[in-house]
Amino acid sequence: MLKVEGLTVRADGVELVHDVSFSLAPGERVGLIGESGSGKSLTALSLMGLLPEGVTATGRARLGGDDLLGVPESRLKGLRGSRMSMVFQEPMTALNPLMRVGAQVAEVMTLHGRPRGEARERAVELLDRVRLPEPARLARAYPHQLSGGQRQRVMLAIALANGPGLLICDEPTTALDVTVQKQMLDLISEVAPALLFITHDLAVVASMCERVLVMYGGRVVESGPLREVFTRPRHRYTQGLLAASRLTPRGTRLPVIEGSVPAAGHFPGGCVFRNRCPHATPTCETEPQLTEPQLTDPAPGDPAPGDPAPGDPAPGEPTPGEPTPTGDRHAFACWHPAE
Amino acid sequence: MTGRKARWMTRWTTGGRPGDRPGEQPGEGRGDLPDDRPGRRPGRPGGRLNAGLLAGGALVGLVALAAVASFFWTPHDPTLVDAAQRLREPGGGYLLGADKFGRDTFSQLMVGARTTLYVGVVAVGIAAVLGAPLGVIAGMTPRGWLSELIMRVNDLVFAFPALLLAVMLGAVYGPGTLTAMIAIGVATVPAFARVARAATLQVMVTDYILAARAAGRRRPAIAVRHVLPNIASVLIVQASVSFAIAILAEAALSFLGFGTRPPIPSWGRMLQESQELLFSTPRLALWPGLAIALAVLGFNLLGDGLRDFLDPRLRRIRAEG
Amino acid sequence: MTPPNPGPAGAAAPYLVKRVAVLLASTAVAAVAVFAFMALLPGDPAEIALGVNATPEAVAELRRQFGTDRPPAVRFLDWFGGLLQGDFGTSYVTSAPIGPQIADRLGVTVVLVAGGMAVALALAVPLGTFAAVHHRNPLGAAISAVSQIGIAVPAFLAGILLVFVFAVRAQALPSGGYVPLADGPGEWLRHLLMPWLSLGLVQGAVLTRYVRSAVLDVMREDYLRTARAKGRGSTGALWRHGLRNASIPVVTVLGLQLATLLIGAVVVERVFVLPGLGDLLLSGVAGRDLLLVQGVVMVLVAAVLLINFVVDVAYHLLDPRLR
Ligand SMILES: Nc1ncnc2c1ncn2[C@@H]1O[C@H](COP(=O)(O)OP(=O)(O)OP(=O)(O)O)[C@@H](O)[C@H]1O
Ligand code: SF4
Ligand SMILES: [Mg+2]
Repeated sequence: MLKVEGLTVRADGVELVHDVSFSLAPGERVGLIGESGSGKSLTALSLMGLLPEGVTATGRARLGGDDLLGVPESRLKGLRGSRMSMVFQEPMTALNPLMRVGAQVAEVMTLHGRPRGEARERAVELLDRVRLPEPARLARAYPHQLSGGQRQRVMLAIALANGPGLLICDEPTTALDVTVQKQMLDLISEVAPALLFITHDLAVVASMCERVLVMYGGRVVESGPLREVFTRPRHRYTQGLLAASRLTPRGTRLPVIEGSVPAAGHFPGGCVFRNRCPHATPTCETEPQLTEPQLTDPAPGDPAPGDPAPGDPAPGEPTPGEPTPTGDRHAFACWHPAE
Repeated sequence: MTGRKARWMTRWTTGGRPGDRPGEQPGEGRGDLPDDRPGRRPGRPGGRLNAGLLAGGALVGLVALAAVASFFWTPHDPTLVDAAQRLREPGGGYLLGADKFGRDTFSQLMVGARTTLYVGVVAVGIAAVLGAPLGVIAGMTPRGWLSELIMRVNDLVFAFPALLLAVMLGAVYGPGTLTAMIAIGVATVPAFARVARAATLQVMVTDYILAARAAGRRRPAIAVRHVLPNIASVLIVQASVSFAIAILAEAALSFLGFGTRPPIPSWGRMLQESQELLFSTPRLALWPGLAIALAVLGFNLLGDGLRDFLDPRLRRIRAEG
Repeated sequence: MTPPNPGPAGAAAPYLVKRVAVLLASTAVAAVAVFAFMALLPGDPAEIALGVNATPEAVAELRRQFGTDRPPAVRFLDWFGGLLQGDFGTSYVTSAPIGPQIADRLGVTVVLVAGGMAVALALAVPLGTFAAVHHRNPLGAAISAVSQIGIAVPAFLAGILLVFVFAVRAQALPSGGYVPLADGPGEWLRHLLMPWLSLGLVQGAVLTRYVRSAVLDVMREDYLRTARAKGRGSTGALWRHGLRNASIPVVTVLGLQLATLLIGAVVVERVFVLPGLGDLLLSGVAGRDLLLVQGVVMVLVAAVLLINFVVDVAYHLLDPRLR
């Protein structure tokens, strides 16, 4: 249903997201994880056509039969809020402070052609559906009269109003406290159609998603079915993430791996994780491709014979497998994968 | 005045004029991109020269140069009435011509720069010396009666614009440079107090102040050692913007006859004297008008430029008030 | 999670009561300040009126007539009590009642300020919004630059320039004077056009920058992104969700500007020889008519306080977070 190929996002000549590809089947739930600054939000925003000024996306993305990238805003407008919706990270600022909540929910329906009165009525129903108490009364409240959790529910009501096929949630619970987080997540997994779920919290992905994409340095470094990736991470970055997360109780933010994420545009060439990776070798100065290892993969972890000499740029040639960037099977981009 | 309104007021009055701000970087200040996370884009270093700062500095420098030079040399005596040179056209030692009394326009402009700067410095000085401490006190005891009193009096003084004060002072004591300076200075106190208060409120919640308070430092010591140095940049910007406003006020007062008295040259009075000759000799209005506009522009640009230059806390004060 | 009480207007009442009380109190304190300043300082109106050669008896007699022999507190209460009924006293110099003179002139000044504000708004709102939306392209930057220059021009200089262009060169408009509306709307308009422009252009330049900045701020708000995520285009989102939010800071500035305009009007009245309050004030000073000056100053100060009050209330109405 959603198919992304070679998505690249740039700002002022700096590549913030590089050649990201993945797909989503109808009803499928995919998690997008990675440390802060790895490009998760930009990936999501470029699908919605909501990138900040001065940031541009290239590549291909299709939702059903419609192109999402490189099309004029007027075309995209019709899709946003009706066939795909997004819930943002920060509920406190995402609603217009001067407008009643009910009107803000109704707006998304009138925009896509529903008559006013009907939209108002359905807005109350939606507020009820996202489990807000006394929805009729609450519809007449202003955002500042609601708690963060309540506001995020309102955002969810807005997102679901027109029955979209795809829901994108960008850290929808990060700003909420733990008990409210749980309720919110339960609600999302109950109501969501196909879901692209961005989070720092590995436990949340584990409970909500079937498949996971791990991003670092603007690239997808590992992807695949949740169980495989989480039980047998291959990329050294994923391995680090998982190892680190085991040391802290669930619900906390993704712990930082040794060293810190470089600023955009300051990632090393070759493998972007090279400067923090304990397993880095000169081979890693060449960029590894995201590949599904052959089932008969001879010796994972050892560079295949014929690897380039250090500094010899021959990208793409000595890949440890066939490039299958959009496949659903376990894939990773690492020269020396973990066992 | 409500807290929210006060916040906006400060926000607006700090900068005086919101301009081309560094905040126009894409995506900056966005909820999902806080600056304090590891791996963020590095904060732009404060202290980058910008075009506004340079242009403003140049214009202000020009005015200052004319003022200083006028102490040592002017082409002619700016107050010398010389019937032979009446309304003399520009040229021959009279670079910009002469006025209806035969006084050299260029010399008058030079000495007028002196008057302008003199009035500005004293007025802004009064405003800063009175306003900044009041603002700091109000900001350090935000809930106390003293703070409430200060801000109420501040609002009241705000209802007396410089012109009214000058007219009242002038009506009682006779108009002159001194009454103009005092009037402009007093009228500018509220702006300083507001800005100083807002900046202090922000500084008061920072870790080092909390630490100093926890360590039992006394309030006056904290004010002098920690608060003042930290709000200095805000005050400097405010001074520059207030200077521009003071120049405008002085010109208006002189134009009305409540400012600098003859024969001391002043740009505002030059304009007023030129008005009756507008039909025959418009250049007499052109030069002082241009001088005022350039000086005001210079101080405004300087203020805006300094705000960007002295970042990053200024930006936050503007952003959060 | 108890639902909040979205009660609409009812909560505004206590605020309004409090704000009115503040307005009255500040006006009273301002009156004390004006009185203290003007009435208690050197210069005895009776001595001034009679000149240096008057006998002490004559001066004392006149003092009794003026009422300036009474204690200051009594005089203040007398004056302030009069003010509340619209009685500003009788001039010591011209023996004319002051109230009617002020009432006469107030109309001209109000028309001048209102027109100036209208010009400023008509310029600033579209230009500022345009400059914000197009802040990345040259035209937007040009608007910013021009407004920066406009700010540096004092209103009276703008007036002089306008006179030079439209009266001296083009001979299209009168260079000054005033024709009452009753004597012909056409002439009335012709005489007010340049005064309006000279006030409005300069204030418009200032306001343009504020509007631009407010719209720019709003454009970065998350709720604008939300509106676009709902399916609005960027222009639609700005119209529906942005402008009302942007108007909140602009209203504050508008209040400050109205006060500035009131004072600017004094100067512009002088440039264009308009018989407004400013003109009255200046002639009062020239004639050392202290009671007249005191009355006009009080009216102007009260006007500034009133404007502040209106802005505060407007602010409350605009922003539900304050209710
Ligand atoms: N408007 C912008 N202009 C320039 N760089 C930007 C912009 N927005 C984001 N970036 C940079 O792009 C990189 C990726 O940002 P993004 O917001 O996608 O990260 P993220 O994975 O969502 O992180 P987080 O978990 O903190 O939300 C970061 O380094 C960020 O600094
Ligand atoms: S490619 Fe090399 S540097 Fe990158 S994760 Fe694998 S081992 Fe580490
Ligand atoms: Mg993000």
